[in-house]
Amino acid sequence: MFEAIAFYMFSILVIGMFLIVVFSKNALYSMSALAGGMIFISGFFFLLDADFLGVVQIIVYTGAIMAVYAFGMMFFDTTRDVKENIRFKKIIYTLSTLSAIFVIFILLAPVYSGKIEALYPSIQGVGNIQMIGLILFTKYLVPFELAAIMLLAAMISGIVLVKIKMEETPTDIEVAKGEK
Amino acid sequence: MELRGFKNRNVSPGYIFFEGEPKPLTSWEQFKRFLSRAVKGELFVGLWIVLREMIRFDIHTLQYPMEKLKMGPRYRAIHKLLRLFDSGSERCIGCGLCEKICISNCIKMDTKVDEKSRKLVTQYSINFGRCIFCGYCAEVCPELAIVHGSSYEHASEQRASFGLKEDMLTPLDKFKANKQKEFPGFGALSKDADKFVKKTPLAY
Amino acid sequence: MIETALIVETVVKAIIALAVIAGMAGFATFIERKVLAFMQRRLGPMHVGPYGLLQLAADGIKLFTKEDIIPQNVVKPIFMIAPVIAAASAFVAIAAVPYFPEFTVFGYTIHPIISDINVGLLFIMGAASVGMYAPLLAGLSSHNKWSLLGGARAVIQLLSFEVVSGLSILGPVMMIGSLSLINMNDYQIGGVANWLIWKQPLAFVLFAIAGFAETNRTPFDLIEFEAEIVSGYATEYSGMRWGLFFIGEYANMITISVLVSIIFLGGYNDIWIIPGAIAMLIKVSLWIFLFLWVRAAWPHVRPDQLMWVCWKVLMPLALINVLITGIVLV
Repeated sequence: MFEAIAFYMFSILVIGMFLIVVFSKNALYSMSALAGGMIFISGFFFLLDADFLGVVQIIVYTGAIMAVYAFGMMFFDTTRDVKENIRFKKIIYTLSTLSAIFVIFILLAPVYSGKIEALYPSIQGVGNIQMIGLILFTKYLVPFELAAIMLLAAMISGIVLVKIKMEETPTDIEVAKGEK
Repeated sequence: MELRGFKNRNVSPGYIFFEGEPKPLTSWEQFKRFLSRAVKGELFVGLWIVLREMIRFDIHTLQYPMEKLKMGPRYRAIHKLLRLFDSGSERCIGCGLCEKICISNCIKMDTKVDEKSRKLVTQYSINFGRCIFCGYCAEVCPELAIVHGSSYEHASEQRASFGLKEDMLTPLDKFKANKQKEFPGFGALSKDADKFVKKTPLAY
Repeated sequence: MIETALIVETVVKAIIALAVIAGMAGFATFIERKVLAFMQRRLGPMHVGPYGLLQLAADGIKLFTKEDIIPQNVVKPIFMIAPVIAAASAFVAIAAVPYFPEFTVFGYTIHPIISDINVGLLFIMGAASVGMYAPLLAGLSSHNKWSLLGGARAVIQLLSFEVVSGLSILGPVMMIGSLSLINMNDYQIGGVANWLIWKQPLAFVLFAIAGFAETNRTPFDLIEFEAEIVSGYATEYSGMRWGLFFIGEYANMITISVLVSIIFLGGYNDIWIIPGAIAMLIKVSLWIFLFLWVRAAWPHVRPDQLMWVCWKVLMPLALINVLITGIVLV
């Protein structure tokens, strides 16, 4: 019973939060609702006894949305509404509705046909973390390592892009130009 | 023109310019600086010093309303008008020097010639809203009549609270009880003042 | 029936933990003022009650009865939620912290932990990182430049030090093979020699530094540094909302102290003749004293120094630590 209550509560919260994300014109509301929604999603993981995934969801998405906040801080006055400039309203609304229905159809098809089954059913006595480790380092080893390499490449390229002129402060540059 | 040239104001010859620590150029030098700063133990010296003070428990707090700081004689706070020790009459002769010298124009006095054809000070007030407590009035007073007291609690209900003649003048009953102390501070003669008096040319 | 009993027990534990930690957090403000005062040759609060002990009550009354000012032009809902996030995340984090060894009252064994999830450590760190939203949201919603700067600094601080604290804790986790704080405690049974600090000294130092940064304590308290950005994210706050921020900060301090004591300093195991609960209390108080001591002695760092030290020194050291631990273990 408690699980059902918790499930419906979290569902309503998550859906409400993401509705705010989409419909609010204030960047601060949207970002905060996004963060809240992501944290509420972790509730489902906890309900499914996937503690590790739930906590990882919280940690990863707080950091990630923190970066979104940083961008929001740089680009908007977050206390004011953003003026949206939408030209082709009809097309946008039609396309997004269609794609939403499509996604729901894709996700619901296996559930409806009853052919869904766990590839790796949880084993009694083996913890969450161990299971994830086993799967990640056996079946999904290559995608895992590829993702790691891609992240490393992205990190290095980011550093190299910023590295130019990183050692010099604006004052140093002015001095070098002879302005002081 | 270089910045150095601007700064050189022809001060005394042994003037040492300190440009700050040399800036570390390479990252290895930066790392070395970091290490030397972190491992040198300066941080721990700081920790030890505050801990030592805590253990020593040498508290310097003055719990103000209960304990009050005794101000030194040269402290310049609210003014006082003194009386003559012999007769008990006011020292002030109404010369007006304090009024003249006051740089913030806050002293105001009214005088008249009384029936004994002596100058009498009828009104004497200091606007403490403007007074900067420079002490010129006390210094210039030839009679040591206006002096600086040591009462530093200036909060009052009215602006004029401390500044009227009645407030500043030593009350007669207090004077009779021998409470008026000769003022040792600002503007008073020092104890060895006699030694510094030079003979005037007339004495030769 | 068993479920109901479990829920009742959990609720009672949660209420007790909340009350005790909130009270301790309030008391920590008093202790902080006293210790800082003694270190600076002052007396600290003296007038309310004997030696100022009731200052806490006076402050509480003041904070609770103050007008709840919400300035013009702020983003109202976010402005009002931010302090609640600070306090709530700090209190959520204590749910997974075991404070004392289990004990028996009236034949009923009590585990002094609200919820023993097997990823306790990660859960606490997740809650702590959610807590960083509080200064960020406060800063963004306040419509005040100081607050905004405080919020920006909160972002860089979180993004920098999450990495260090996560990596530094990896070494101990690899040795113990579990993320549960109870397992970490049990790993160190058997006296001072078995403490993890001797096996993972580098991780201990790194985690301590990261702990200072995540609780915004002095060497890294640049998100509310008065001399630079008036009061940082809390500039526009007053009354109880401001108080919630600070209860959250002190509760976080207590959580970090408990974490360090459990992971590195032997947890609540008995030392020699000292029973475990007392040992735990001593360790946590010593660690909180260290927080205050450092605040009295050390200067602040600049934001750029903070990031420099985090990304160029601490993170490589943490990686090296993980690597060495891995080599030794294999």
